[in-house]
Amino acid sequence: MHSKSYIVNTGIITAIGNNATVCLQSLQKGESGISYPSILKTHWQDTFPVGEVKMSNAELAAFTGIHEQLPRTALLSAIAVQEAWAPYRHEVGNLRVGFFSANTVGGMDLTEAVYDAVKNGVVKEHHAQLKYHECGAVTEAVRRHFQLDGFCTTLSTACSSSANSIMMAAQMIEQDLLDVAIAGGADALSRFTLNGFNTLMILDKQPCRPFDQERQGLNLGEGAGYVLLMNERAMKQYQVTPICTVSGYANANDAYHQTASSPEGIGNKLAMSHALHKSGLQPQQIDYINLHGTGTANNDSSEGKAIEVLFDGQIPAASSTKAFTGHTLGAAAGVEAVFSTWAIREGIIFPNLRWQHAMEDISWQPVTSLRTQQPVRHVLSNSFGFGGNCSTLIFSKT
Amino acid sequence: MKLYIHSVGIISAAGNNNADDFLATIPAQEVGAIWLCREPDYSHYIPTMQLRRMSKAVRMGIGASKIALQKAGIEKPDAFSVGTAYGCLQDTEVFLSKMVNQHEQMLTPTAFIQSTHNTVAGQIALLHGCNGHNLTFVHRGHSFEQAMINTALYLGEHPQHTVLVGGIDELTATADAVLQSFGKKHNAEGSSFFTVSNQPSPVCVNDITTLTTKDTASVAEAIAAMLQRNQWTMDDIDAVLVGVTGDATVDEAYELLSQLIFQQTPQLSFKNLCGDYPTATAFALGLLLECRYKGFPGECIINQAPKTIGKTMMVSNYDDFWSIWLVQCEG
Repeated sequence: MHSKSYIVNTGIITAIGNNATVCLQSLQKGESGISYPSILKTHWQDTFPVGEVKMSNAELAAFTGIHEQLPRTALLSAIAVQEAWAPYRHEVGNLRVGFFSANTVGGMDLTEAVYDAVKNGVVKEHHAQLKYHECGAVTEAVRRHFQLDGFCTTLSTACSSSANSIMMAAQMIEQDLLDVAIAGGADALSRFTLNGFNTLMILDKQPCRPFDQERQGLNLGEGAGYVLLMNERAMKQYQVTPICTVSGYANANDAYHQTASSPEGIGNKLAMSHALHKSGLQPQQIDYINLHGTGTANNDSSEGKAIEVLFDGQIPAASSTKAFTGHTLGAAAGVEAVFSTWAIREGIIFPNLRWQHAMEDISWQPVTSLRTQQPVRHVLSNSFGFGGNCSTLIFSKT
Repeated sequence: MKLYIHSVGIISAAGNNNADDFLATIPAQEVGAIWLCREPDYSHYIPTMQLRRMSKAVRMGIGASKIALQKAGIEKPDAFSVGTAYGCLQDTEVFLSKMVNQHEQMLTPTAFIQSTHNTVAGQIALLHGCNGHNLTFVHRGHSFEQAMINTALYLGEHPQHTVLVGGIDELTATADAVLQSFGKKHNAEGSSFFTVSNQPSPVCVNDITTLTTKDTASVAEAIAAMLQRNQWTMDDIDAVLVGVTGDATVDEAYELLSQLIFQQTPQLSFKNLCGDYPTATAFALGLLLECRYKGFPGECIINQAPKTIGKTMMVSNYDDFWSIWLVQCEG
């Protein structure tokens, strides 16, 4: 390894805030962002609450000056990238800067609006919407806006997507292929995903209750979260001190079912144990677990059991922050990497909102109220998704 | 970077590389023809019950990966890295159509479940019971290149492992209509999977450069920088595989590159066999493995036939997404 990968800044937008300051305040005050959608126009307007950013596309675009006709995912992505990158973007010099993003449905919000017409042969008139359908097109639009001309990639591994973009960015810094990386992901709400998750019958009609015995499913959310990674050389050039390192990461596959987790959480366990191995840490050194904790019966049970086995009676403080933000899919691991970074910087552990009843199939419970002045040195963050994709990131105080 | 390629499985418009008629029938060249894959009889590779439930992208991915694994004599790879620009278009469209037509009601989950971009990689892992590293890259015309670059990162940390790496894109009638309306011709689909490791084999990817540009001069600069970095000169290179499509607006860049860099080098086309799609470089790399001994089909020879296939360069683009590969083949 040439250099560790250090996190020096964060950028975020979710239903609980348009920037880092507001999101952190909401987490500290225990204010959830779950409500019925008003921006997303859907048949399920009054049925399924979501974690929606309450701003129109034009309002979102105005934050960064990016073109408002872009997919909403690109608008959200640009806001978070700007927050993470703006303080550093003008003094790049010879540093090699990479951009690693992730999303699950690209420009689907625009495609779904014109699909019927396109099917009926009205194609050229909708070029503006169709141009950004691909996941990679969303990343490219943001890359061009910030003139990020170095290595640029988009990953898509369902709900674990942005964990993998952060993992790859950390690897490229460690292997001295880059000096700086902006890494994370973004996803906007779309009718496609809302209806898709509805067919799986895993959407809660109430605000979600992760890790509660009475949980009824997840709430979808939208947002973007990025961390700014640097090697020692870049930090020296910018004269910046890091918040933490990406000390461990792993990606494994559950190989059990396209959408369901194995009951004992095979992939979850592998991702966590391989990430611990990479970091050189023992399970008992983890101070906080930011759970994947979607609120579905299946996820929380598998994840809970995997943690129970791996941490063998000494379960660290753990909480899911999805009761605040909803499940932001391709953005989730980016958003939660940002939260994990703050847990270390601020010495706080976030509450698992709305928790009331202990799960019967696991022996431990999540943290339910804000803990401050905690010595948080090592945070483990889980992200699991369709296709069996399981990823774990570990962040360590420097 | 030294990525040793051990085997390839190809499913393409020109057939599959496990069949005698691979490359025997070249797709029709007329403008506007859709180049769909000539798919194999999958019953050799996939249990019938499972096959019935698979979309085209999934069966093309699994079929090609099975061929690659069989040829390498590997039951279970350690990790997967897949590139796909469009993902599972067919299932995406099935779900989207129903959602629109039925006004978001009475929908069923199957198509949605299989619409996610990582479905192919996930299904391959599921079929083989592989719990290893499993990523899907979706960065337009660089998706396959990035799957390869990630493989190099992975093998750096797991030097004993074998990775199954693939490039796959499927085409639907709607996608073709949209692409044609944007002026793209010879739209195609294909699936090529490789077994890749650090253990020496006769074909080695020495370097991959990706760049996004409209300016052919910057592609030329990137080629020069890459040759210098690898201490290769154009005189060393036995053949260049170029991504010409037969569409003058695309091919003009290659004419300029030829004038600037490789006029004297034997040039071979490959998109006349597989058509044009974002992950077509995976087909090109597979073609190199298949044809390095037996020679390339005559219709691929642009200026002169290569005498041998040793040091090889691949230069290809999909829109502004260019990639340059240096591949060392040994006799």
